Order: sequence, then structure tokens, then C-alpha cells
Amino acid sequence: MLTNWINTHLLTFLTFAPILWGALLLCLPERQAYLAKLLGLLGTLGLAVVGFSLMLRLAPDPSGALFLEHQPWFTVVGLPVDYHLRLDGLNFWLILLTLFLVPLTLLGTWNSLKQRSGAATALFVMLEGTVLGALFAQDLLLFYLFWEAMLPPMFFLIGIWGGQDRKYAANKFMLYTLAGSLLWLVALLYVASHAGGFTPELMGQAVTAMPFGTQCLLFVAFAVAFAIKVPLFPLHTWLPDAHTEAPTAGSVILAGVLLKLGGYGLLRFAVPIFPQAALHYAQPLALLSVIAIIYGALVAMMQLDIKKLVAYSSVSHMGFVVLGIASFTVIGVQGAVFQMLNHGISTGALFLLVGMLYDRAHTRQIADFGGVAKRMPIFTFFFLVVTLSSIGLPLTNGFVGEFLILNGTYVSGFAWGRPMAVVASLGILFGAVYLLWMVKRVFWGPENAAEDSGTAHLHDDLNAREIAVMVPLVVLIFWMGLHHRTFTAHSEATVTKLLADIKAPSPRAVQVIPADAHPALHSDHGSSEEAH
Amino acid sequence: MPFAQSLLESLGRDLPYLYGPLFLVFAATLMIWPGDLLVGRTNKRAWSYVAFLVLAAGGAMALYAPLGQGFSGMFRVDGLTKGFQFLSVLAGLITIVLSQPQLNALREQTVEYYALILFSTAGMMLLVGATDLVSMYFSLELMALCIYVLVAYLRHQERSVEAGMKYFMLGAFSSGILLYGISLLFAATGGLTTNLAELNEKLALATPNHTLLVFAGVLMVLVGFAFKVAAVPFHMWSPDAYEGAPTPITAFMSMAPKAAALGAFVRVFGTGFHGVSGEWMLPISFLAGASMVLGNVAALRQQSLKRLLAYSSIAHVGYMLLGVMSADAQAGGQAIWLYMLTYLLMQSGAFAILIHLQGKGEGERIDDFRGLARRRPVLAFAMLVCLLSLAGIPPLVGFFSKFYLFKLAIEQGHITLTVLALLTSAVAAFYYLNVVATMYFKEAPEGELKPMGSGLALILTVTCALILVGTLFGPKLLDWTAKITLG
Repeated sequence: MLTNWINTHLLTFLTFAPILWGALLLCLPERQAYLAKLLGLLGTLGLAVVGFSLMLRLAPDPSGALFLEHQPWFTVVGLPVDYHLRLDGLNFWLILLTLFLVPLTLLGTWNSLKQRSGAATALFVMLEGTVLGALFAQDLLLFYLFWEAMLPPMFFLIGIWGGQDRKYAANKFMLYTLAGSLLWLVALLYVASHAGGFTPELMGQAVTAMPFGTQCLLFVAFAVAFAIKVPLFPLHTWLPDAHTEAPTAGSVILAGVLLKLGGYGLLRFAVPIFPQAALHYAQPLALLSVIAIIYGALVAMMQLDIKKLVAYSSVSHMGFVVLGIASFTVIGVQGAVFQMLNHGISTGALFLLVGMLYDRAHTRQIADFGGVAKRMPIFTFFFLVVTLSSIGLPLTNGFVGEFLILNGTYVSGFAWGRPMAVVASLGILFGAVYLLWMVKRVFWGPENAAEDSGTAHLHDDLNAREIAVMVPLVVLIFWMGLHHRTFTAHSEATVTKLLADIKAPSPRAVQVIPADAHPALHSDHGSSEEAH
Repeated sequence: MPFAQSLLESLGRDLPYLYGPLFLVFAATLMIWPGDLLVGRTNKRAWSYVAFLVLAAGGAMALYAPLGQGFSGMFRVDGLTKGFQFLSVLAGLITIVLSQPQLNALREQTVEYYALILFSTAGMMLLVGATDLVSMYFSLELMALCIYVLVAYLRHQERSVEAGMKYFMLGAFSSGILLYGISLLFAATGGLTTNLAELNEKLALATPNHTLLVFAGVLMVLVGFAFKVAAVPFHMWSPDAYEGAPTPITAFMSMAPKAAALGAFVRVFGTGFHGVSGEWMLPISFLAGASMVLGNVAALRQQSLKRLLAYSSIAHVGYMLLGVMSADAQAGGQAIWLYMLTYLLMQSGAFAILIHLQGKGEGERIDDFRGLARRRPVLAFAMLVCLLSLAGIPPLVGFFSKFYLFKLAIEQGHITLTVLALLTSAVAAFYYLNVVATMYFKEAPEGELKPMGSGLALILTVTCALILVGTLFGPKLLDWTAKITLG
């Protein structure tokens, strides 16, 4: 009976099972923290198994959806709201990433939290459910509900289990995101009242009838909400605080999963609903993301705290995602989708590793370390691999994503495409500088001789549990680097259709792409060979 | 005796519309005399039960009253009347329960306290059904006079008396303005009518010579109402009155009179002044915008939770004024009703916790909530639910009603104000979250907390449960809302 229900309501199950499970775990008394952690881990693991086993068997239906749940929900002020969950090429891997990353994070930070770790686990499990709900939701009001529901769990994770300035960081995170999404809500209501519903299709139709200026204003309201989540320069200032103060697991989920919603929202909603405005704003978007790439990298270079460094590298890497979207080429957008996965794996793994180091040394200052490689060879190996993937070394995932995006930007046909691609590629160079410089100072050189330095506290290398967490991540890093078609094949059809829809009926498109500059498909092929 | 006969006849016809409020008035009178003579000094607590039952019975009578219009068009029972009467009665019932801990602790149980609540609730019930400016004024005064006294109820406490005095002085002043406005409008119609429906027709036909008269009259009535609902800049009394009043009365004031006054606001401006909406739309939009901004910004700096809730209620009124501005009075009334219903749930939940922590009336500082999550996880969670809902965070029910209201405002073309409303909600989220952060992120002080009384616990459980699952019953809520019809 239950399996039958799950088979027909897979998406509902994946969304609400963790939410309910987390709520249940939250009720466990504090002294049962171990049980809560165990149940949380098993629950998310079970969910991942169910999700993987079912989702990998699905075949797309003619409309491109792999799985669909759609029924009318209720009508508010004459506007029908649909309960519309959908799995397709665009969210497929992001969902698998979420399913995969949450149990790994729970396992990886098993002993990190000393107090009330049961409640933290429960919040993580609930957070997973809301994120999955937001990724599945196709109705904008439903999406908005899940989008906002993601905030409170993260707010508490940062605020209760965070570091010194946790209250400030938690408030900043919450208010920044909330302010953006409230403005977005106005735009959403405005479009919905013109469209007579919250489905992207209806909204898209209604938008074409609006004056261009209104379209642009509405697009900006949508884009700002998503850009805050990404986060795009200059709306990124909440991220370093949130990342630095959050507990390890919070940082991993924030980087690995929550930030993705920003890029995903842009691609799924903002761009298809406002195609003309999106094309109109392609240049400012690209400019901001190039600034984010360079600025994030430069600021990361100057950081004294490893975690803060990784946080700023997040800004830089997520800048690539928006750059790829702004190129409006199949290859660039594919790269953006791929880069979201990359960033989830690599930065997530980096945060996990930094957390493991912090658990032992109780400090994250680069200056407190030195010569760690001698004391922790296994740890150093994993750290190095992940760092190199984050830099974008060929053979690793980072290379494929950044290459596709830069390629897409270069061939986008926009006048600014080539210069921006050139400038953005400097970001990769800077990435190598700040990451390798940090690695050098932390892992090599003479051992830090000071008595209470970080290195002095490092007595044991990674244990079996921690290795078990890192191995799948490293495998994925190489798999994504060596055979990216496993991942890009799913989104190709969706992305191609999306871009075709955007560009086809654009009487007002500001910059029409010349017919001969359509090398997207060829170079996609080319790049895959390059990546091999 | 044809006169007496016709009087009896019309009374027999019209009285059923008023059974609810009349029952309250009679019962309250009987409670004071001779009822109070029959119970001893120690048994005063029993009056709370009596008052609760009387109020519930009065509410039920009002809810089952026949629909129609009576007393020469002075009073009307329609969906709007019943909906807002329901809210006032509900607020009154909640207030009676919330009053118990503090009145018992201070040994201040008297029959007059409950009688005043009943009288003012009767006034509210009349107010929302009033379809004539004069009957509206009378009921408003009945409601307000009782509340002046209730604010100053703790006569041994200086701040309570001071608050009552302030409220009374300013309230009397604003009543004067309101009455003057009514008389100007009466003059503008040529001294013919104060009935809302007729007024609407007459005002639209006013000659150019009279437009200034109409404008001044409408504006003065607006000022009177703005004072009653505490909209900026006529809110000056409210933080002091809220802070000084006994906390249960603060809860009462932030719920019941506001609901009733907003119901009457919609009726008067939506039906009576509908034809001249050009005259008052701009002033109301300024009131609304100023209330949102000032209410929320001033709440940011408050150290006392009571004052914080007072200022935030100013902001919530600002949001609800968006509903009054709706060109479609019925849709506006529905949106306000829904908002008020959910606001009532959240506010009474928050006040239940405040009253519990306050004990005899001291600990109301936000700082007193430090580490509540460690000491009382359930209580802190309940407070969290209420506060997040007040902040309008989905999927709690507070979001749902805000959504409904803002959706209406956007449809009516008030886009700038809606943007302002949402921006200020972000400000509101800041101070609500600040309380949450104090509860969850700070260390608890030493000392034990006493367990919660069953009355408060019941209210808290019910309101929190409704806030949590309310959105799931959105369709049901909307069905009820659809019953708030005018005429």
C-alpha cells in the first residue's frame, strides 16, 4: 500500500516525509540526542535510497517531465493556486544533490555539535524537506511558500549552534533574504492578478501584454530576490557572516543546497516569465557576476580565517552560475546548471573538511596552522583534491563547469560576451592563487611551533567515518570531471527548449543574436571532448 | 392608542436584531445590581465564569439574529455585522480568560471589571451594525467610555491611572471632532439625513458650494475613526495607554475595539462616503502609509514587549487600512475581517505568554525572555509561532491573511502602498525575530518559572494550533470570509 502510494506520489513523499520526520525528531527529549541523530541520519539515508532508486528509473514523458503531480489546490481572491510538483531535467540533479548531501553532512558532522545536537539534526531534516519542496514546486505561490519556509530552520541553525556573532549573523541572513522575497511577493501578486493564476505559463502570457518598462521593473523584483540567495554582488554581504558563524553542517547545506535555489529560481521562473526583460538585463547581470567572480576571489585572498576564505570563494564560484545564465546560450546555461552541482560538491566538501579541522584544533585561523600535512596525511590528501576541484583543474568537476560557462559567454553573440569571458577567466586564476596559497600556509612549511597553535592540537588523522564521508564526494568530483554527460544529458532538452522559448517570440529583444552565431550545439560537443 | 400600538409593533419587529447586545447590557446591569449583593467578598472570581457564559450566550444570539434592517434604518444585521460581532465577542471571551492570573494575583477581582467588558462589547456589537452616523456615534461612545475606565482599572497604580486619563482626554477630544464632522455632513445634506445609504446619494449630489463642507465633514469623521483605531498621526495615546493598562486590557484594546472600529470604518466609508471617495482616498492612504512606517520603526526601539506589541498593532492597523481603501467595500471588509481574525489569534497567544511571564505585572521587558527556550521549550515554541505569524512568515496563517489583503490592494491599484507595506513587514520581521533570538540564542537567567494556569494554557494551545494549521484550512477560511457581506 505504502510503496504504491510512494510510487504515485513520489514528489509529495520526498517533500513531506522529511518535514514530518524532522518535526517528530524535534519532539524527542534532549537526552535522547544520540537517538535523534541516528534516526535523522537513517531517515535521510532512507529518503536518499528511495529517491535515487525511483528517480533513476524514470523516463521522461513527452512534455519533458520525468514525474508530475498536479492538482488544483485552492482559490484565493479569484486566483487558482495549484499543487503542482514536477521533476524534470532542470531540477533532477539538484534534487539528487540535496538527497545525497544531507545524510553525508549529518554523518560528517556527527560529533561536531556538543549541545542539543538532536534538535539540530531535526532542523536539518526539516530543511531538506523544504528545499526539496521548493525545487519541485512549479506553481509560484507554492514555490514562495517553500522558499520562505527554508528560512526559519536555517535561522535557528545559525542562531543557536553558531559561533561568536551568531545572533547578528542569523538576523542578517533572515532579514536580507526576507526583504528580498517580500519585494518579490509584490511583483508576484501584481503579475498574478494580471495573469489570473500563479502558473509560470499564465504569467508569461500576461507579461507579454505589459509595457516593457513594467516588465523590466517586475523582472528586477524577481531577480533581486534570487540574486540575494545566489548571492550576487552587491547583495552578497550576508553570506560571509552566515557561513562563518554557522555550524559546519549549516555551512555545508547553505553552500551545497540553499544557494542553488537562487540560480534555479532565476532559470526556472524569472527568465522564462520575463524573457524580454531578461535579455534586456543580460549585460548588467553578466557584469555583476563578473564583478562577483573577481571581487569574491580578491577578498578571499585576504582572509585570515579558512572558513571565511571558503565563504568568499563561494561568492566567486556562484558568480559563474549567473554569468552562465546571462549568456543565454545552451552551453552557458548548461554550464550554469553543472556549476551549481559542482559548487555543491566542492564547496560542501571544503566546508566539511574545514569543520573536521576545526573540531580538532578549535581554531580556523590560517596563521595558527602550518605543517599540517605531516600530522594528517589522509586529511591533506582529501583537502588537496577538493581544493584542486574547486580551482577547476582539468579532470575535476570544476573545470567542466567553468569551461562551459566561459565558452557560453564567449560565443553568446552579445557584444560584451568576449571581454567578459576573458575577465571572468581571471577569476579562475585568482582562485588558484588564494586556495593554493592557503593550502601552502596551512599544510606545508614548518610545523607551527607555538604551544597553543592549531597544529599542536592535531593528534589524529581522519577516522573511518570521516573517510567514508569524503570518499563519495571525491568519487563524484572525478566522475563529474571525466564524464559530464551523465549529468548534463538530463538538463539538455529542458535547457534547449527554455532558451528556444525565450528567443523565439522576441519582437522587442534588444540584441538579436545573428543567425550564424549559433555555435552552441557544436561547441557543446567540442567541449565534451575537451573535458575528457 | 394607535401610537403605543405601532411602537410595540415596530419594537417587536426590530428588537430581534438587537437581542445579542441587549442581552449583554441587561445581564451586565443585573450582575452589578442586585447580583453583586448576593455574593460574598471572597467569591468575586465566580463573576468571571458568569461573565464568560453571558458573553458567549450574547454572542450566540447575535450570530443567530435574523438578517435585515431596523429602527428606521439605524441598525442593520448583515454578514459584515455578524462577522465583526463575532470577532468582538471572541476577543472579549479571550480577555476574560486572560484576566484571571493577574486579577487573582493582585486581588482585584470585581464584578465591575466584567460588567465593563460586557458593556463595551455590547457597544462594539452595536457599532458594527450601525447604519446611521448618529447610532454609530452612540455605540462608539458606549464602547470607548467603558474602555477608558478599564484602562484606569488598577487605580492604585500610577501608570494605570495616568494612562486612563490620557486616553480619556484625547478620546473625548476626538469624539468631539467626530461629532462635529457628523454635524457638518448633516448640514451638507441640507439637514435631511444622517443615514449612510441616503447620505451617500445626497453627498454625491452636493452642490459645488457644499463640497468644502463635505470635505471637512468627511475628514473630521476620518480623524475620529483614525483616533479610535490608533492610526498615525492620531496614535499618540496608544503606546501609553497600552503600557499603562492592565495587560489583559491591553490585549483587549488591541483586538476588540480595533475590530469593531475597523468594521464600522469599512461600513461608513465604503457605503456612506462611497460616492465621495475622491475626498478621502488620499488622506487615508497617508494615514495607512504613516502607520506602517512609524508603527514598525518605533517598535524597533522598544525594550518592553507590551510597548512593542502596541506599536506593532499601529502598523497592523496601517495594513488593514489598505482594506478600507478598497473601492469595493465588501471585498475590503472581507480582507480586513480575515486579517483581524488571524491577528486576534496571534495577539492573544502572544499576550497569554506575556501575562504568564509577567506575574503581578512587572516582567514585561524583552530581556525577561532570555533563554526561555531552555527553561520552557514549549512556551518558547508557542511564542515563536505567534511571533513568526505576526511577522507574516509562511506557511503560518498570518502570511495567508496578509497575502489576501495585499493581493486585494494590488488589484485596486495601490501598488506603492503595498510595496511600502511589504518593506515595512521586513522591518517588523526584525523586531519580532529579535524577541525570538532573545528566547533562543541567549543564556537563561537563574530562577524557576511557575507552571502556567490552565486557562492561559488552553488559549495558547488553541491559538497556536490554529496558527500552525490555519493555512491548511485556507479554503474553509475563505468560505467564512465570503460570508462577510454588506447589505
